Amino acid sequence: GKGGMKGGSKVIIEPHRHEGIFIAKGKEDALVTKNLVPGESVYNEKRISVQNEDGTKVEYRVWNPFRSKLAAAVLGGLDNIHIKPGAKVLYLGAASGTSVSHVSDIVGPTGVVYAVEFSHRSGRDLVNMAKKRTNVIPIIEDARHPHKYRMLVGMVDVIFSDVAQPDQARILALNASHFLKTGGHFVISIKANCIDSVAKPEAVFAGEINKMKQENLKPHEQVTLEPFERDHACVVGGYRISKKQKTVE
Amino acid sequence: MALYILFEAASGYSLFEAHGLDEIGQNTQAVRSSIEDLNRFGKVVKLVAFSPFASAIDALNQINSISEGLMTDELRNFLELNLPKVKVGKKPKFSLGVAEPKLGSHIFEVTKIPCQHNDFIVELLRGIRLHFDRFIKDLKPGDLEKAQLGLGHSYSRAKVKFNVNRVDNMVI
Repeated sequence: GKGGMKGGSKVIIEPHRHEGIFIAKGKEDALVTKNLVPGESVYNEKRISVQNEDGTKVEYRVWNPFRSKLAAAVLGGLDNIHIKPGAKVLYLGAASGTSVSHVSDIVGPTGVVYAVEFSHRSGRDLVNMAKKRTNVIPIIEDARHPHKYRMLVGMVDVIFSDVAQPDQARILALNASHFLKTGGHFVISIKANCIDSVAKPEAVFAGEINKMKQENLKPHEQVTLEPFERDHACVVGGYRISKKQKTVE
Repeated sequence: MALYILFEAASGYSLFEAHGLDEIGQNTQAVRSSIEDLNRFGKVVKLVAFSPFASAIDALNQINSISEGLMTDELRNFLELNLPKVKVGKKPKFSLGVAEPKLGSHIFEVTKIPCQHNDFIVELLRGIRLHFDRFIKDLKPGDLEKAQLGLGHSYSRAKVKFNVNRVDNMVI
């Protein structure tokens, strides 16, 4: 057929079944998010511009599952990530903010991402990224001590946690007790050898899930992040789910 | 025995009073079920005072102290102005619930205001955090997030800048 617009082959964007995420269908399919700040890349990721029928343009950013555990978990087939347009998200272990920038795209202008990172080196990149994305509130502080940032955070719908610490279940529970709405959700990435480098990954994941259950964090589903990450699992669940809701499920 | 609660937000300090505690008997579960609904929670907890921070610099000073568990002069003024007076030699008929024990002991040391921190206070604070912008009449929707955004940037920028040579412990 005819060549597409100048500068690239024709790409069709389709909504993903998770609201706020899209699939770019071209030569190869790619996961993308709608760029909150058109014209800007955050970490040199590829951008795709699509023209609507009325002539307006929408820009998307390619979301690489090898660089983002949340993207890997989406491709791993999670039923529900609970991170969607308008959601308030507490993001623990924000690192340089590459993944956070996609969460910022997903929740959009009516959502908020409280991005917590303790490492000052990555924190600098995070703060710079947040300058252009006003729905990201950068918090350079230790996620082990949520009371230190209690003045900066409101109640949230979802906690995403990627802290890669041996006591990560406790860190998640502590933050949930301060900031996660009753009936809210959590998404946690677990790296087996961060918790126990000798035990089998499956045993480590099961152990972590038991810890969560004791803290009112009720796991609903679990996927591995293969082939993007080795010995990683992503667990999604609900917080303080009442007995009534339990029988409905 | 009256119970007051100190709530620190990005936009200012506020003080609440918890009512009808005899009925719910400081039962954590009872509070849990009542905090979801503002109509019910608004009967349990009432706003006593709100003092907005004077400026962005003021807000940064406050969070820097609060995060270290320290009471500032501004917080001391706010508490002494709005709480019942503590008389020397008499046991106060109220206590102040705080979000963190270290701040509580500093407040008590300096002002003799009796402070407490427990699961029950944590539950009440969850409710206040959930409904905060509706307790404070002057706050329009989105105002609190704006304050959080500004303060988040100044707090984080200061951390990153002043610790340029800090060694990060990278966990692989």
